Amino acid sequence: MKGLLKVFEAIRPSFEQGGKLRVFKPVFEALDEAFFAPSATTVTAPHVRDPLDVKRFMAMVVIALFPCVLAAFYFFGLRFAVMILVSYAAGGAVEVVFAMVRKENINEGFLVTGMLFPLILPPTLPLWMVGLGVAFGVFIGKELFGGTGRNVFNPALVGRCFLALAYPAKMSASWLGPGNGLTGRLFEYAGASAVDSLSSATPLAMAKQGQFIGLREMFLGNISGSAGETSAIAIILGGVFLLLTRVASWRTVASILGSFVLLAGALHYAQPGTFGPVLWHLCAGGLLFGAFFMATDPVTSPITNTGKWFYGIIIGSVTVLIRNFTGYVEGVTFAILLGNIVAPILDEIVVGVRIRRLRSEG
Amino acid sequence: MADNKQLACMTCVPKGLCQGKGLVTLKEGAWANNPLAIQMLGICSALAVTNRLENSLVMGAALIFVCVGSNLIVSLLRKYTPHRIRMIAEVAIIATFVILFDQFLKAFYWDMSKQLGPYVGLIITNCIVMGRAEAFALQNPPMLSIVDGLANGIGYAVVLAIIGFFRELLGSGEIFGRTVLSADWYTPNQIMILAPGAFFALGIVIGIFNAIKGPEPEEKK
Repeated sequence: MKGLLKVFEAIRPSFEQGGKLRVFKPVFEALDEAFFAPSATTVTAPHVRDPLDVKRFMAMVVIALFPCVLAAFYFFGLRFAVMILVSYAAGGAVEVVFAMVRKENINEGFLVTGMLFPLILPPTLPLWMVGLGVAFGVFIGKELFGGTGRNVFNPALVGRCFLALAYPAKMSASWLGPGNGLTGRLFEYAGASAVDSLSSATPLAMAKQGQFIGLREMFLGNISGSAGETSAIAIILGGVFLLLTRVASWRTVASILGSFVLLAGALHYAQPGTFGPVLWHLCAGGLLFGAFFMATDPVTSPITNTGKWFYGIIIGSVTVLIRNFTGYVEGVTFAILLGNIVAPILDEIVVGVRIRRLRSEG
Repeated sequence: MADNKQLACMTCVPKGLCQGKGLVTLKEGAWANNPLAIQMLGICSALAVTNRLENSLVMGAALIFVCVGSNLIVSLLRKYTPHRIRMIAEVAIIATFVILFDQFLKAFYWDMSKQLGPYVGLIITNCIVMGRAEAFALQNPPMLSIVDGLANGIGYAVVLAIIGFFRELLGSGEIFGRTVLSADWYTPNQIMILAPGAFFALGIVIGIFNAIKGPEPEEKK
């Protein structure tokens, strides 16, 4: 490490003000901070007591995604690695260009977006769509609003929503039946040629025709669906890690899942023939993934605790409504984006009510 | 305002019809104060009809016609219109021209009329036309008002054509209904045909317009 540090110190001047390569300062800073702790320290109070900065915060999420990524490799094969590469390259390019134009540091937030994005896509989606989607999500969903920390919507979901509306045919037909046998598809590169429309319909799509896949398959993830959302057990593993490290708010997760279970349960109880059982719906589609990894994004969810409860209730119940009463098969993407829109309003209301209460108490 | 004299419209100056303000007015309406990209008026129709370039051009032509016609009549009648009923008078004049254009489309270009649907009729409520009549034609002589109507109509039509061009090109790979981007390698981006695509396209065009124009003078201080 010492040698590396010397190299960084030696080339640092050319990136500073007046240096030849100052345009690339964001890139240099990002590499520097990836290897070493930030050189900036606080001079005056308040001093940092726990160095949990944005970088470590985001690193936690990436670590928590590990089980899902492994599951995606196991069930859908090596092509998923290429999807991750494309996602990082295309989104990263937008991020770097904006950082250079704005003369800001490259933000770590993209590490998470670039990893989340391929996880919520159909596994055989054309690679250029992966790149276009993530570039759109980062550009329109994040950078135009002012960059990380200022975005209203979750960039990965903006990208997915864009693809779903722009290329509906591909987005709803690029599913892949999961690999069978001990090694799954671990050593396969399954592209579009492997798509078999009969065996690869997602559980929610089949449920619309009255067929319900067994709960055990749904729990393990041995089903068709977006790359990272099929395996409930892998999502729960990573999600619990996020909750224990308090990176994700348990209030958001609890209210999404709670309201979902209540509403879906009531529907199933009223008409068991039409509406699927609660536990089945819980494991189906992207609900768990969305609840643990997408909705808990600290930027796009409310700040106040009361706001988080209402935010979760909106997402959970809208998901139930879209899944059961519209032409769409799955509604988690739209539900979370809708939640993102109301998040600032919820905060406003909660703070307003609190101020009024304090005033009336005198 | 000294340099404005150099821009003075050559055809108007000798006759004194535009009081030498012709070119300034033209530039103001079509570029510096573009009704769509700068003033954000008439957004509704810009989103609704721009899914094909052809529709955008006809809509632009309709607005130019209505804007020029209504500005002229409003300006001619400006000294005889009682101030308290000027709005009603303006609406009646604008509606006359809109209906003229609508009937013309129905008579000669029935297919186009069907495609544009209610949006030609809705020009009556377009803020640009009403706004120009209120803000310009009521205070200015007829010739200058015609120039102003023409300028604003062109400003609107050009932005509409830009949006329509990109929406048709990306959304269906066609220009004027002819395939430009072959389906062999180009997958049409269906969001560009839908309303969200119109919002994205309009937003980006407005952004580019404002970036070229630079910040407002008072913001510079």
